[in-house]
Amino acid sequence: MLKLINTILIGLSTGAIYSLMSISLVLVWRSTRVINFAQAGQAVFSTYIAYEVALRTGNFWLALLCAVLSGAILGAFVDFFFMRTLFKRVTSGPIRAIAPVVATLGLLGIIRSAVGYIWGVEVKSIPAPASTDGIKIGSDVLPFSTYDALVLLIVFVVLMILTFIFQRTTLGLSLKASAFSPEIARLSGVRVDLTRTVGWAIAGACGAIAGVLATPNSLLSPNSLDILLVLGFAAAVIGGLESMLGAVVGGLILGLGVTFIANYVGSTLVFLSAFVFLIIILLVRPSGIISGKRSRNA
Amino acid sequence: MPKKLKTRLSLFILLGWALLLLGDRVDELRVYQGASIAIYAIAIGSIVLLTGYSGQISLGHGALMAVGGYVAALASVEFGIPFWAGFILAALISGIFGGLLGIAAARLSGPYLAGTTLALAVGLPSLANQFPILGGEQGLYFDIGMPPQQLGESFTQYKWFYWIAALAALIVFFLLSNLLSSRYGRTWRGIGSNETAIALSGSNPQRLKIVAFALSSALAGLSGALLVMTISTASPSAFPLALSLSVVTGAVIAGVSSLKGVIFGSVILVAIPEIADAISHRVGDTLRISSTLPGLLISILLVFAVLVTPNGPGENLRHLLHKGKSHK
Repeated sequence: MLKLINTILIGLSTGAIYSLMSISLVLVWRSTRVINFAQAGQAVFSTYIAYEVALRTGNFWLALLCAVLSGAILGAFVDFFFMRTLFKRVTSGPIRAIAPVVATLGLLGIIRSAVGYIWGVEVKSIPAPASTDGIKIGSDVLPFSTYDALVLLIVFVVLMILTFIFQRTTLGLSLKASAFSPEIARLSGVRVDLTRTVGWAIAGACGAIAGVLATPNSLLSPNSLDILLVLGFAAAVIGGLESMLGAVVGGLILGLGVTFIANYVGSTLVFLSAFVFLIIILLVRPSGIISGKRSRNA
Repeated sequence: MPKKLKTRLSLFILLGWALLLLGDRVDELRVYQGASIAIYAIAIGSIVLLTGYSGQISLGHGALMAVGGYVAALASVEFGIPFWAGFILAALISGIFGGLLGIAAARLSGPYLAGTTLALAVGLPSLANQFPILGGEQGLYFDIGMPPQQLGESFTQYKWFYWIAALAALIVFFLLSNLLSSRYGRTWRGIGSNETAIALSGSNPQRLKIVAFALSSALAGLSGALLVMTISTASPSAFPLALSLSVVTGAVIAGVSSLKGVIFGSVILVAIPEIADAISHRVGDTLRISSTLPGLLISILLVFAVLVTPNGPGENLRHLLHKGKSHK
């Protein structure tokens, strides 16, 4: 019983981090029709910023804030200087289908090499702001720690803020409008290009939070977030790639599934099971569990 | 034999002869690099077939190369099959594996396929640790043996690698260029640009895509087997994510829409580590620079290629020549 509760709790907090990564992919996909593989690089860069700040000030919260800001700036930067140029230049030929994917991969490589050069290739770590030891209940120790609980809380707050932005503000409305139909949004006075850049910034911030939150439980290296990217992508696909709610649900399902397999079957099978899960979802229910209105042939 | 085919065959024989002569003129390191170039060329060719023709994308060709590499090594270690038969077997089994994957892939469009194949590239090589027969992290030792006695005393191991790889590349490209200029190639090209039109003209796009994926995987498997030959072990670390990405990079630099640039792309892939080495020696060799520079160069090149020569340098060259002519 205790093992079950523990698996569920750990699964939720792992899934919460996947959800954030997944949201950052979904936000970009909705507005730009690109799976931003560079997100792993953007997130790892922001996480290194957090590492640097945490090292100097010892304050986790300040570090998280700086990571969020740098993630947002980098996201906006990538869209403004990079994706805009790309879409202007690449207009025809068989490359068109793969150009965005290839370009974001190239960007991932550039950011990763830059991070490796600035901070070195040795692994780093960020100290957790709360205990990573398990919580004691009577004489039993749950592997679920105070820090894991804190992760759940932070992700919840972030989701609330995002919901508020998307449901209650003009910015949220413009974001949704320009993702749904750029031409009509432009006709009704939304500055679509600018809005898209803001969307990239929000996505970058979400990725940064995911990166920072994932790091205290593991280690930081220039490619330590690649797995998170792949799992975030799987979560986004489970959720249908179009909806933010889908991304969150997909992340939680994936987190729970992965943790159950790790605790009950074997931890070496985690990645394989996630991959098999992804393939099954794609074959059985290609539009995801929570499907949007558009087909995925867009 | 049709005339075109005859010309092509004689062209390839001529090219093979030139390569043979070249192998005798250069030193050991260059011969080894020649083998690598041939191997990368096959891998890039498989991407050109897949992306430039059938319009699908794969970021996981490194994983398919791993399948081929392990099959070849396993065939030789466990079953004592001669190496050349192992290479054919590697291509066959990767082709079957790729066909199965292609059934899933044919139903997916761009981003889904990219993400799934990326997951494959990240996950599959480390799967080798799960099965003791595959030798875990150490991998499997693969030795094709010394070159045959008849070739003489001074015939080195590296030159033997080069001969095998170059011969394999020549055969592959002869078959591939014939296939791509055939009816199949044209239909594939059609899928890439307008799938509906192909369906309306009576072909089955799904099936054609699966065939393309299977063929491309077979080529990737063959190049993986050859790669394992040159480094003499099949291990998870021989097939990192970076390998998948650099193969795609090579294809983009070469121009995915035709086979003409393939050799250019593979030469660049082999040259980059050496260029990076030269630069890091020049600026003072620290671990930091030498470990990040190759990745940086290749990524910059990839981004540059996508932005500046999206359809391959050949296209830009043609444009340039055209401009020159019209000015006259």
